[in-house]
Amino acid sequence: MMAWMSNKGLGARDAISEAHMLVTELYNPANQRDPARINEIQARLQQLQKTEHAWSIADSLLQNEHSSQHRFMGALTFTVKINVSWNEIDENAAAEILQHLINRFVHIVNKGEQALVVRKLASSLVAIIKNPSTPRKQAVWQLAASLVNGEYVSDELALGVDFQERILPALNANASGALLFFSIALAEEAIRAESEATYRAKDQYPLHQALQSMKAGLYLVQFVLNGIMQHSQKFGDDAIDAALAAEAMSSWKTWLSFHGIRSRSVPEDVDQLAISCGKTIIETLRVPSLSENAASILTQAFESRRWVFDASSLSLVAEVLAFSIVTGHITAVSNGDEGLESMAFVDLLIAYVSHLYLDVFTVPLSPHHEAILRLVHGIFKTPGYASIDDLGTPRALEFWSEIAESVLDDLKPDDPRYDLIKSHLAEVVLILPSKLLYPTSEDLADWSDEERSEFGAFRHEGCDYLLAAYPIIGVELVTVFQRSATSHLQGGDWRNFETAMFCIAQLSEAVDDNCHADQCLDGIFGSNAFARLCAGGETGMPVKARQTLVDSFGKYEFYFERHSSLLPGVLNILFESLSFELCAQAASRSILTLSKSCARLLTSDLPVFLDQLDKFRSMPTATASTMPKVLEGIATIIQTLSTDEEKAQTLERILGFFVQEANTAREEVTGPAHEHGRLRGHLVLSCIASIGKGLRSETDLTSIDDLPDEGPYPASFWNSGPGAESQRLLTEAMRLLIVGFPVDNGIIEAACDILKAGYTERAGLFVFPPSMTVDFIKSFPLGISGTDIIMATASSFLASHASHAMQIRAQAEALTDHVARLFSSMLQTPELYDPETANAGIDFLARLLPKYYQVLFIPMESNAESPLAVLLHFILHALSRPDPLPLRAASAFCVALVDLRSTSPEATNAIDSVHQEFIPRLCYTIVQQIAGQCARSDMKFFSDALRRTIFKKMALARPALKAALEDLNPQFTDNNGQQVPLLSPQDKSRFLESLVIARGAAAPSIDLVRDLWLKCRRVEFDYV
Amino acid sequence: MSLCQNRLQEERKQWRRDHPFGFVAKPTRTAQGGLDLKTWECAIPGKTGTLWEGGLFKMKVVFPDEYPTKPPKCKFDPALFHPNVYPSGTVCLSILNEEEDWRPAITIKQILLGIQDLLDDPNPESPAQADAYNLFKKDRPAYERKVRQVVRENQPN
Repeated sequence: MMAWMSNKGLGARDAISEAHMLVTELYNPANQRDPARINEIQARLQQLQKTEHAWSIADSLLQNEHSSQHRFMGALTFTVKINVSWNEIDENAAAEILQHLINRFVHIVNKGEQALVVRKLASSLVAIIKNPSTPRKQAVWQLAASLVNGEYVSDELALGVDFQERILPALNANASGALLFFSIALAEEAIRAESEATYRAKDQYPLHQALQSMKAGLYLVQFVLNGIMQHSQKFGDDAIDAALAAEAMSSWKTWLSFHGIRSRSVPEDVDQLAISCGKTIIETLRVPSLSENAASILTQAFESRRWVFDASSLSLVAEVLAFSIVTGHITAVSNGDEGLESMAFVDLLIAYVSHLYLDVFTVPLSPHHEAILRLVHGIFKTPGYASIDDLGTPRALEFWSEIAESVLDDLKPDDPRYDLIKSHLAEVVLILPSKLLYPTSEDLADWSDEERSEFGAFRHEGCDYLLAAYPIIGVELVTVFQRSATSHLQGGDWRNFETAMFCIAQLSEAVDDNCHADQCLDGIFGSNAFARLCAGGETGMPVKARQTLVDSFGKYEFYFERHSSLLPGVLNILFESLSFELCAQAASRSILTLSKSCARLLTSDLPVFLDQLDKFRSMPTATASTMPKVLEGIATIIQTLSTDEEKAQTLERILGFFVQEANTAREEVTGPAHEHGRLRGHLVLSCIASIGKGLRSETDLTSIDDLPDEGPYPASFWNSGPGAESQRLLTEAMRLLIVGFPVDNGIIEAACDILKAGYTERAGLFVFPPSMTVDFIKSFPLGISGTDIIMATASSFLASHASHAMQIRAQAEALTDHVARLFSSMLQTPELYDPETANAGIDFLARLLPKYYQVLFIPMESNAESPLAVLLHFILHALSRPDPLPLRAASAFCVALVDLRSTSPEATNAIDSVHQEFIPRLCYTIVQQIAGQCARSDMKFFSDALRRTIFKKMALARPALKAALEDLNPQFTDNNGQQVPLLSPQDKSRFLESLVIARGAAAPSIDLVRDLWLKCRRVEFDYV
Repeated sequence: MSLCQNRLQEERKQWRRDHPFGFVAKPTRTAQGGLDLKTWECAIPGKTGTLWEGGLFKMKVVFPDEYPTKPPKCKFDPALFHPNVYPSGTVCLSILNEEEDWRPAITIKQILLGIQDLLDDPNPESPAQADAYNLFKKDRPAYERKVRQVVRENQPN
């Protein structure tokens, strides 16, 4: 008994016997329903596997004659013990253990042990060999020699015997299989080691071991497969050891993966051997019991190990695909006679043609490739729905899409292959629609959501193919679908009509903005059958076909603009479609798109649309995602009416309804239907905001600066003329939903949109008195959610009056006073601090500053109390806090403030005086923050304010920064417990001088700030 | 062909072979119908079991000439209501930042999956838009309502 494996002593014997008992219990069926007990047993076994007796336990379990489960656990225990204790073992013991395990391995293999145990013991051997303390030259060779010898053979002795000629032929099937297990485990260990490898020699050792054994491993693959092939020729398919062949193929695959990580170190003859093994595997495709596995292994090799196929391998694959049992399997899949079980052959077919790519096509086509391309086209004929019960079609389509996408880039039009490829692409176009047919409602009912999405994704892949093929095939491609759509529309074949329209809709990307396919499209939209559809009434069109048709209208916006006579009919279909839940979204989108682009052409149809709107608004499909779009579309048409009277009349009709709705919402929110009322209120405001958007449609947008300046709120048709009733209705609806209504973010957003709708105009329904905006903004208390939206509206309001800023000075002052009051509350009561209000308020001030600084700096009355002091104090406060958004806004404000200049002496004096007072305080705050206090991500914003201040106000900034830096004294505690300064006076002055030299340039300034920050945080590296 | 083009071709192939369910990623087409490999149209589905489930969010991914040394720019189009999406639609995510976690080995698939994760797991440390950030921090029910509205507006066709 070897010293490392003493089983003497009570402790060892007890441990061994306990381990046997535990394994018995572990596999006892009675314990299988008791997970707690199983866990307990496993935990105890794991303890034993790490004890000093683990070697003896492992060996004893491995020799259990009655139970393979015990033997498996023995092999596992060896692996665990090797991994845990190998570092504690000297070289002699290591050699002894290896010898002992090889003997045990040979023994169990010769006894015909089960694969599970042999495989586990092979892993134990690899666990030893991966360590440098047991140097091997050729691990596979040595183990093979030992198997032949019947017991351990040393490395040196083994290498003296020819591996190919003498050792391999002497291996029986059991030994070959066991050696394959070992060979695979060795390569896998190397791959694992590579993924975790460091540059330490120890970690590289498994890679070195595998590299040494790769050739022997591949010889073994070749030997095993050749043997099986010969055997099959002699005794037929039934006599084949398919499991051994599968192991050999798996070994080839694993060694190829290893090659992938060590390709530069692999000698050329080993590469050739791998290629040769590949050819043998290709040959096995002809053997029925091996072909499926071979197809799957070869497909994986095509995808990731392309080098392993040389010209003769490829020619062999082509031959097998075109004329062998593989051809039969693929044809059977296409005919629906075989299914998933034969998909490996389809995969191989696609992998092969994808590998050859454009080289599949030669002029003339080789007989093999002609047959292969027939097979690829044939896949589209597979019965069933693509992606659901036909998995081949998506793969074939993938190949054709790749070809279609590359032709333009990789082939010149005069290339003889161009026309050949074009004809193949056209063939796919003709067969594809049958695979894009939407499922019948009966079939669809059985599908899961995932299957529906899968099929939907396939349809889009199909259309991607059409888009890729369009530049090569041209308008003829659209003609195919136009003919199909027209004839199926005529015949009422809605499924085929839907498919054709689906394809035409997707092709809009290629043809809508040019006139290439207009004639084609006229064929559909100018047909009598389409005119009947436009007339409305009962058409029998199912919802899916309607949905696709509606979607296609939105995609052919330019076509319909060019064919305006079709628009009323199309919009009629769209309005009708609003009542269908599945179509309402797409229909409302298309109504908006078409109304926007063809508004002027639709005015005569407005009364009809308004009637349809009246019907629609009471439908359940009139929701927040559909109704505002429809209203925006209608408002766009209203905007193009020739007189304000006509506009007002139409708008009154619409707005009257919304006032009623606002009243209903108000009643509802006070009762049990509270949530319903809130949603209704939100919908009303969103719809009104959308009307506002529609009324300032882009085509009619006038720059406010181009209009004569008549003050902030000149009298107009809409505020003091006949349009005032419309405006009254509008403000009434708003008042009902804001004053005393439970206001939330959505309501605020919609109300702000309504206010903003008129900011770009001088006169109009949505142009309100300035006080309305100010009162609205002031009505919200501190801390309300939505303050950012409210203050952004305040900014837009002031921006819209910038050309006559001083005429709305009172409103601007009211707004700044409001902000100052909010800031003051937050300064006085820190727990009220609200980052959103801080950010929104500062952002408002930063935007206001360039045009309205006089409101802040030069009070209208000399004795009036200016809010400036509070505002500036709050800005510095925000810069000292960690909240990122107020801090960024404060930085932007400081930049705007430093940039301010004026031509008037009075204003210049005012600005200078603010700078004099503010810049020293700003410099102090910035220095404190960049001296390690601020977050790393905020440094940029401090740097922006700092560099701008230095660049624009050097005379003020330099002494202020000097003073701030002198005041700065960051310290750390050294090893002796002493406080040591982090910055020397030299550091400080160097920082300041470098900043001055940088003169406000962005990159050097941020680098300097970053260096200071790192130094003050005592961090050596850049990123923390 | 440049390194950038080569890599993008490979990304295209890999995506065709294997892409996460419900995602879209494809190069845009030039006026001539060819592929513009440097600009991709993508779509990210909201993750199942999250507030974002049911939405499909369109995004433009623009690859610089220096890709993969430099990261692509990912921009939701239209801009998305989310704390880590700038008002312009650009996504603020560490793996898309050259100075943070970008590595040339990161694939388009990983980027899109990373953005999908970000949707339901915003990073409040790195706000990019005030609207969504403030609501997320201050009024979670309102934030969730707004997200649901965004999802409704971004249904797959």
